[in-house]
Amino acid sequence: MSELVLETKGLTKYYGRILAVDHLDLKIPKGCICGFLGRNGAGKTTAIKMMLGFLEPTAGSSAIFGCSSQNLTPSVRQRIGYVTEGHRLFGWMSIGRIGKFQKAFFPEQWDDKFFADMIEYFGLPKKQRVKNLSIGQRAQVSLALALAPNPELLIMDDPTQGLDAAIRRQFLEGMIQLIMRQGRTVLFSSHILGDVERVADRIAVIDKGVLRASCSLEQFQKAVKMVRVSFTGEMPAEIEIEGLLHCRRSKKELELVLVGTDEEKIERWANMSKVQNYEIVGMNLEDQFIEYTEPVNHKGFQWE
Amino acid sequence: MTVWVQITPGSNKPIYLQVAGQISEAVAKGQLKTGDKLPAVRKLAAELVINPNTVARAYTILEQSGLVSTKTGSGTFVSDPKMISRDAADINALAERMDNVIVRGLNLGIEAKDLLEMFKSRMAGFGKKEKDKEQER
Repeated sequence: MSELVLETKGLTKYYGRILAVDHLDLKIPKGCICGFLGRNGAGKTTAIKMMLGFLEPTAGSSAIFGCSSQNLTPSVRQRIGYVTEGHRLFGWMSIGRIGKFQKAFFPEQWDDKFFADMIEYFGLPKKQRVKNLSIGQRAQVSLALALAPNPELLIMDDPTQGLDAAIRRQFLEGMIQLIMRQGRTVLFSSHILGDVERVADRIAVIDKGVLRASCSLEQFQKAVKMVRVSFTGEMPAEIEIEGLLHCRRSKKELELVLVGTDEEKIERWANMSKVQNYEIVGMNLEDQFIEYTEPVNHKGFQWE
Repeated sequence: MTVWVQITPGSNKPIYLQVAGQISEAVAKGQLKTGDKLPAVRKLAAELVINPNTVARAYTILEQSGLVSTKTGSGTFVSDPKMISRDAADINALAERMDNVIVRGLNLGIEAKDLLEMFKSRMAGFGKKEKDKEQER
């Protein structure tokens, strides 16, 4: 793996007795766009806040550019852009004012022209106060504020939540434009898997505070498979195949969800197991994510 | 010139395979000809709003299959199909894939002659190239 921009080691957070983040060992290499995936309440926001030093971990550590998240120096902070969940900005400031305010935190890299151009491109009135903007306009301001300092690492916590397709697309374009500059890295959380698929080349999956996957998007897409199986004669009571995550039974068929089992192994298993027919079912990223984070042996809903 | 690449997120096919597949198809249909230059990785990535590494991955796959070649510093170009090496194993693999299609068709109850008609009409979609060849002769 190339140079690491961000690394957490055993990063853990308890809220009282509730375990929100559980020994997170996450490594983000330089130059990637990493999609941070997890269901609601999985611990993404808590993890991000600890990475940025806004929240003290119960145990473990986190570092950005080799500098401990707990003690990020101003010079390191200047290299990091952050977009909060819900785009919380000071409502009483005008767009122009908030630009100047943000500039003070990034004295060396802030690009006045870029910020002004983006605000104009979005068609936002510079004198308007932030509190009078719609959520979409506030998100656009927030995107311009994050990109204008040309950050080496951009961290965005669910930036496109509740936004329309056009503004979501602007965020994706912003990420692509940033990554095209040499040595930039992006970490962003999102529930819109189609967006993640477009712009991410890496993903990290967190479930109930535990890091379940951290790999290239391609590896994940290759690893999670669904196989439908029918048998000659009776269905076996036990299924033994490498990488078995879920096994669902209907009268005639078995549905297996496998992780990391290559096609040769599936064929070998089928030959040994009185399988009449089997089919590897195509899955998109969303199906893969849902299956991957589904509790094991979950029975699903039953409508009487 | 890049109108022939269209991305469908949420499909069963990963995006790098969509890009590689559509470029292969454009070459097969003659929309891209020998010597044509593929768009630069960064340009195509910006245009399609996808990660540049995803485009680069697609180009690598095309290069490994021999369909395109990269000249350092000047770009990626469509190769001459006559220069593409294909051995007996490639032909066998192709025959096997055809077998799969035939089996599926016959299993669906389609008669052999209708299956052949279907193959011809699908092939007509790639007709431009045949015409080009005739002109060459």
